[in-house]
Amino acid sequence: MRPRTLLYVVFFAALFGFLFAAFSTYDFVAHLDRQVHGIHCSFLPGLQNEDASASSGCHVTLMSPYSSVFRRWLWGGIPVSLPAMGLFAFLAYWAINLLWTRRELDPNATGFLAAVATVPFLTSIVMAYLALVELDAVCKLCIGIYTTSTLAFVAALMVWRGARRPREPERTARGDVHREGATPSTYVLRPTPMDRGGVWTAAFLGGAFIALPLVAYAASAPDFSRYVGACGQLAKPENAEDALIPIGPQSGGHEAVEVLDPLCSACKAFEKRLQASGMATELKRKALLFPLDNECNWMVGSAVHPGACALSEAVLCAGAGAEAVLGWAFENQESILQTTKTDPKAAARLVLERFPELKACVGKPAVRARLNRALRWAVANELPVVTPQLFVGNKKVCDEDTDLGMDFVLSRLLRQGGAGPQR
Amino acid sequence: MRQSLRAFLALILLFIPVVLVLLWVSSAKERLAQQVSAAPSTAKAAVASAANADYCTPELQRVLRRVLQSCGLLGSGGGRGCKPLEARQVATMQGSDFNALFVPMADRAGIVQFDRGSAELDAADLALVDQVFADRRGASYFFVVSRASPDGPPGQNQELSRKRAESVLAHLRRSFNDPELDRQVGLLWLGEEYAQLEKSFCNWKRSGPNERCDPKELNRSAFVAWIDCRL
Repeated sequence: MRPRTLLYVVFFAALFGFLFAAFSTYDFVAHLDRQVHGIHCSFLPGLQNEDASASSGCHVTLMSPYSSVFRRWLWGGIPVSLPAMGLFAFLAYWAINLLWTRRELDPNATGFLAAVATVPFLTSIVMAYLALVELDAVCKLCIGIYTTSTLAFVAALMVWRGARRPREPERTARGDVHREGATPSTYVLRPTPMDRGGVWTAAFLGGAFIALPLVAYAASAPDFSRYVGACGQLAKPENAEDALIPIGPQSGGHEAVEVLDPLCSACKAFEKRLQASGMATELKRKALLFPLDNECNWMVGSAVHPGACALSEAVLCAGAGAEAVLGWAFENQESILQTTKTDPKAAARLVLERFPELKACVGKPAVRARLNRALRWAVANELPVVTPQLFVGNKKVCDEDTDLGMDFVLSRLLRQGGAGPQR
Repeated sequence: MRQSLRAFLALILLFIPVVLVLLWVSSAKERLAQQVSAAPSTAKAAVASAANADYCTPELQRVLRRVLQSCGLLGSGGGRGCKPLEARQVATMQGSDFNALFVPMADRAGIVQFDRGSAELDAADLALVDQVFADRRGASYFFVVSRASPDGPPGQNQELSRKRAESVLAHLRRSFNDPELDRQVGLLWLGEEYAQLEKSFCNWKRSGPNERCDPKELNRSAFVAWIDCRL
C-alpha cells in the first residue's frame, strides 16, 4: 500500500478511535450527576439506543476499577477514555499534517507517528486483557477502540518502515528533492527529515492534546465531598451477635458492615471494586446477608434472586468457610439463577454438591432462624431494601457512591476515622 | 498560509476534546443541581420493616396487645413471665370468634398435641415447634396458645395448659439462641374454659397422629404461630 494511502488509514482510524473514546467518555461523565444512566454499547455508537440493562459488557467495564485512574483524588477518577480522546485527536492531526506537508517519506516524522500510535495500541492490549480475563466482559465500544488503535498502529508502522527503506536514487540525491522512480513523472518530494527540535515540538503538542482535556475535566468536575457520610447511619448497630459474619481480613482498624446478597451481580462487582481499591484491608468487615428472595425475605414481593435464601443459609452454615461459599456463589451467579428459575430447589442442591459438609445445616430451623435474625437486624436499623450497601463505622456510604465514587468516598470516610462501636 | 491552516487545524483538534468534556461535565453538574434542589424523591428504596399482614385486624391486634402486656412484652410490664389471664379478659368475644382470628394463619401455624395430662414435648412436637418457629419471616411476635381438654377439674386444666405453654417456651430457649426471645414470645393459656378448638382445626399442621383427631385430643395442645402484625 502506498504511504499516502496508509496515512489516510491512520487518519480515519484515529478519527473513529476518537469517536469511540468520546462516546465512552460521555457515558462516564454522565454519571457525575450520581444517577443511573443507559450507556452506549454498540459498534455504531449514537446510531443505536443506549443500553440501560446495567448488565452489558460495556456497563461492567465502565463500572470496573480499570475504567479510570486517580479515583481517590477525584470522584470517579479520570476516565481512561479521556486521554484516549486527546491522543486520537493528535494522531489524526499528525497524520493529516504529514499528508499536507508530504512528509510520508520522512523517517523522523513517520517514526514519531508510529511512536504515538504505539501508545493506544499497547494500552488497548492491556485493557483488552483486563476486560477479557479480569472482568470477563466484552465491551463493544472498547473493541472499537482496540480495533482502531491496532489499525492506526499497523498503518503507522508500515508508513515508518517505508520511509526508512533506502531507495537507490536517494543515495545520490541532494537537497530536498529526491528521485524515487525511473521516470520524471514519478518524482516525489522528500522533505528534509524533521530535526530533533521539530520532534520535541510535536511531542510537546501531543502532550498538550492529552493534558488539556484532563486539566479541564479535573478542574470542572463537581465537588462530591459534601456527600461523604451524609447518607444516614445505622440506627441500632448493637445486638449484631450472630446476625453478621466476618469477611475479609479482620486486622483493619475500621469497623464496617456490608449488606449483600450472594446472587446480586452488583454485590459481586462491588466486592471486586473494593478489593481492587486496596482499602478492604483497612476495614474490619462484617457481612449482613440480605437475600432478595421472598422465600425467606418478606420485604421483597417476589424472588428477585431465586435461591439467594438457600445460599445465604449455606454461607451462615459454613462458619470460617463463609468466604469460600460466598466466593463460589459470586462466581456461579448466572448459572445458579438460571437453574433455580426452573427448579426452586436447585440453589440448595448446587451449593450442597459443592460443599457437602453443609448438608446437616442448610435448610434446618436453626440456620433459618439465624438468617431471619439477620433480616430483622436490617429492620432494626431501618436499612433500605437494596444491595449492596456499605457502612463504615456507622456511617453509610451513599448508594450512588458504591461504584465509581467508592474509592473517593471510602478514603475520606477512613480518614475521618469511622471506627464505630464494637459489634 | 498552509502553516497557519495547520496551526488552525491543530487548535481545533486540540480544543474539541476540551470543549466536549467541559460541556458534558457542565451538563452533569446541572442535572446534579436540579436533583439536589428538587423535592425528595418518591422513588426511594423501601425501608426494611416487619411484616404487617392483611389478617392483622383491630380485633387480632387487641388480643395480641393484651397477651403481650400480660407477658410484659409491651409497655412497662414485669418482663418475662405471663400472668394468668382470665379468658374473658383476653378478648371480649365469643370463643369461636376468637379462634376465627387465627384462621388466616393456617399455613403459618401448628398445633402441638400433648398426651393426656402431660406437658412434655415428644420428638414430633419438638419438630413441629422448630419448623413453625424457624419460619418466622417478617413476623414480630410468636404466640403460644395452650389449652386442655375438658377432662378433669378446670383449675387443674388451667395449670396444665400453663405448663404446656411454658414447656414450648423452654424448648425455644434451649434450641434457638435468640437474645430477643423474651421480647417475641407471648403465652396464653386457656385451660378448658374458652375458645376450645373445633374439629375444623384437625386439618391444620399437627404433631399428633393424623388418623386420629377428636376435639378432646385437639385441645390437649398448644397452638403455635408467628403473627405478622405490627403494633
